[in-house]
Amino acid sequence: MNIHTTPQRTPAETALIDAFSDRLSLLPGDGTVMLKRDDAIEAIKSGLPTRRIESWHYTDLRRLLTTVPDFDPAAAPKAIAPVVEGSAVLPVLNGVSSTKLPEIEGIAVQRLSEKLADGSIAPGLDPYGADDAIGALNTAFVADGYFVDIADGTEPDKPIELQNLQAGGQTHVRLSVRVGAGAKAVIVERQAGEGAALVSSVSQLLLEEGAEVTWLIVQEQPDTATHLAQFKAHLGKDAKLTLFVMNAGGKLVRQEVVVRTTGEGADFTLRGINLLAGDTHTDVTMVLDHAVPHTASTEVIRNVVTGRARGVFQGRINVHQYAQKTNAKMACNTLLLSDDGEFSTKPELEIFADDVVCGHGATVTEIDHSHLFYLMARGIDEKTARGLLVKAFVAEVIEELDDEAIVEALETRLDGWFAAHG
Amino acid sequence: MPAVQDTIDRVRKIDVDQYKYGFQTEIAMDKAPKGLSEDIIRFISAKKDEPSWMLEWRLEAYRRWVTLDEPKWARVHYPKIDFQDLYYYAAPKSTPGPTSLSDVDPELLRVYEKLGIPLREQEILAGVQKTDASELEEPSDNVYKSGRVAVDAVFDSVSVVTTFKKELAQAGVIFCSISEAIREHPELVKKYLGSVVPTSDNFYATLNSAVFTDGSFVFVPKGVRCPMELSTYFRMNEKNTGQFERTLIIAEEGAYVSYLEGCTAPQRDENQLHAAVVELIALDDAEIKYSTVQNWYPGDAEGKGGIYNFVTKRGDCRGHRSKISWTQVETGSAITWKYPSCILRGDDSSGEFYSIAVSNGYQQVDSGTKMIHLGKNTSSRIISKGIAAGFSQNTYRGQVSAHRKATNARNFTNCDSLLIGDQCGAHTVPYMEAKNATAQFEHEATTSKISEDQKFYVMQRGIPEEEAIALIVNGFVKDVIQQLPMEFAVEAQKLIGISLEGSVG
Repeated sequence: MNIHTTPQRTPAETALIDAFSDRLSLLPGDGTVMLKRDDAIEAIKSGLPTRRIESWHYTDLRRLLTTVPDFDPAAAPKAIAPVVEGSAVLPVLNGVSSTKLPEIEGIAVQRLSEKLADGSIAPGLDPYGADDAIGALNTAFVADGYFVDIADGTEPDKPIELQNLQAGGQTHVRLSVRVGAGAKAVIVERQAGEGAALVSSVSQLLLEEGAEVTWLIVQEQPDTATHLAQFKAHLGKDAKLTLFVMNAGGKLVRQEVVVRTTGEGADFTLRGINLLAGDTHTDVTMVLDHAVPHTASTEVIRNVVTGRARGVFQGRINVHQYAQKTNAKMACNTLLLSDDGEFSTKPELEIFADDVVCGHGATVTEIDHSHLFYLMARGIDEKTARGLLVKAFVAEVIEELDDEAIVEALETRLDGWFAAHG
Repeated sequence: MPAVQDTIDRVRKIDVDQYKYGFQTEIAMDKAPKGLSEDIIRFISAKKDEPSWMLEWRLEAYRRWVTLDEPKWARVHYPKIDFQDLYYYAAPKSTPGPTSLSDVDPELLRVYEKLGIPLREQEILAGVQKTDASELEEPSDNVYKSGRVAVDAVFDSVSVVTTFKKELAQAGVIFCSISEAIREHPELVKKYLGSVVPTSDNFYATLNSAVFTDGSFVFVPKGVRCPMELSTYFRMNEKNTGQFERTLIIAEEGAYVSYLEGCTAPQRDENQLHAAVVELIALDDAEIKYSTVQNWYPGDAEGKGGIYNFVTKRGDCRGHRSKISWTQVETGSAITWKYPSCILRGDDSSGEFYSIAVSNGYQQVDSGTKMIHLGKNTSSRIISKGIAAGFSQNTYRGQVSAHRKATNARNFTNCDSLLIGDQCGAHTVPYMEAKNATAQFEHEATTSKISEDQKFYVMQRGIPEEEAIALIVNGFVKDVIQQLPMEFAVEAQKLIGISLEGSVG
């Protein structure tokens, strides 16, 4: 324990560092952006995080990231239909944004490669902490994505779907969205593909005063892909964000959620479902900062673990000293359905203000036998009864979203997963 | 709750200086030179007349220790400790190994008298009890007087006296200082020492293994229910010394023992180090109950001085149906870094952890537990209550894990924090790791301040604010206080009242 060692670089670390020198000439960016890329690759050179880094305790990236595929310019992902029919789709295919951009009133869309080239996105490229390996990886390699600006007071009548699709190789994408004062929008972030890719994706969301956003992350990578994602949001005065995260795929997945309330009256809701199967590793890590008084948050995460899957949920709520009257509640419930599966959870509270109400709860258990008995006593066979109970356990979280079209679309995806893994 | 009024009265009587055990005593001391090296370890070992295997064990630990770094993960901040600027051995000068109380330096006996620790067993045997209520409030009152308690008194580096040895020996119980056990019962010590906390365990445990000077040893043989409560009282007196004690408790098949631990130190401007290791071993059907009231000097109102309390405590439920229960009341120390844990190895074994951690002034507490479920049908229960006031930081850090073979492992965890004032912090860091589908873990935590409604309700009945808060706080910690032996419970309630004094307003 604690013995000094000078670690040797792993093949994955070496591959990333080599890929950076190869790609450097192709990466867009002005002087500031390129300096930030240099800093980022320096961070990677000092080693990927191990379990000794507290925030990576259950996801030892250095050990788990065994191979890094080469960039594949020829990879051509197939287009897919949006989660909610009729959405405005902004696709990023193999890490490249589309030149044909949809025209929506009140919404300005720009390719991120342009924002990188002129340096206007540079301030957002800084990592949020010394242990921000996903931020560093993305900053070093990001080449494209979208910048979406929703004007003040705009209320688009259909969802906007940002698709990040891969077909092997490496893709590093950034999706940046600003929602103006009083605007209201539904945004779907779709992460999918069909190859054994290494994907890094960073989403940035800024909510101005009174803005209201429902953001859905639907992650359905194949079980060969490595998916390292980050969602960062700032909530202004009276802003309201409902974030829904669904993880239903990927070999090695880490989804970070970094949210900060910066205006009084801000309200954050996180709902997540993690459907884990096979020999996979999925980690959802949230860091929530209540930085100003009178803000509220609730988080509910439901996990289903089957096969040899390993799941992780880490949630840290920081209540700053100035943030009196904070109301924060977090729950993480897990159904562990197989003896080979495992789930680790670490719900943290860091509280520096006294006039607050904060709580968290966590449970890990199997299906309640009395529930199972109740259904089977009514003539339902065990397999169907189990299926019903597991589905009810996760569907409860989906049904809280009050938009019918979204609830229906997500339940379809849920059914799809159960059909494939039930 | 009659003790509440008592607490309040007591708090009022105490001067600005709240810490009543802050006196120091001039006693002729025998000290090793400052610093740590293999020579110092040889010196300690020779002083204690130890067999060579023990010296080798210490040296091996020392050699490992020099390769280790201090742990940094806890939420505590302090200037770097210079381990070469400490005395690792300090003992009162007296005849080696006193055989009766009359051999003990009378000055030393006066110290324990002042602390309210009964070393004069004949007095207790004769039934000399102070029952007059007015006497309760004297600082010299004796918290253990209502029952018979065997005491091992540890003064700086050595155990000065152990009471009731004869009577315990009749029941087959061995209760003595660990140095005596190394000399008299080497086969037991060899078999169990380091089997729960190995020398390589962590920085402070390794340091302790190299330099531990004394502590208590308890062995309860098969089928014996220890006839009385056992207790150790630790006192740090010398300047610039570190106290490194080692406690080893073994309960054989079907045995039961309840053990209490108390500690105090003089008030000093510099920080002092206390790095102890406690190992508990429970075989089939055995039960060990370990209670601590920790009241080391916490430092003054500006956060100057105080004890660094870096302790490794671990119990091993090695046998089937064994049980280990930890109860702790933490009110002292400038910094507390302590995680009494249970390894639930035997099938159907169970572990419990009840804790109250009160921090005020500039105290920093990072405490909690580990429940490691390895056997089948094991269960554990964690109740932790943290109360932070003043400028203090109070962290609960705990781990519950079920290994692949731990079918039907069951855990319930409840940790609540109460904040008094807006300059303090309360933190909860629980780790839950389930690798077995039949495991059932529940965890709940809340943090809040004393609810205005509750306070209003109490005050509306004519109870002044300070008393109302004391009443609510005592209600908040009731679950844990109930687990303490009676004599300790009263003392603990008083301590909580004292620690929180001045935080209301």
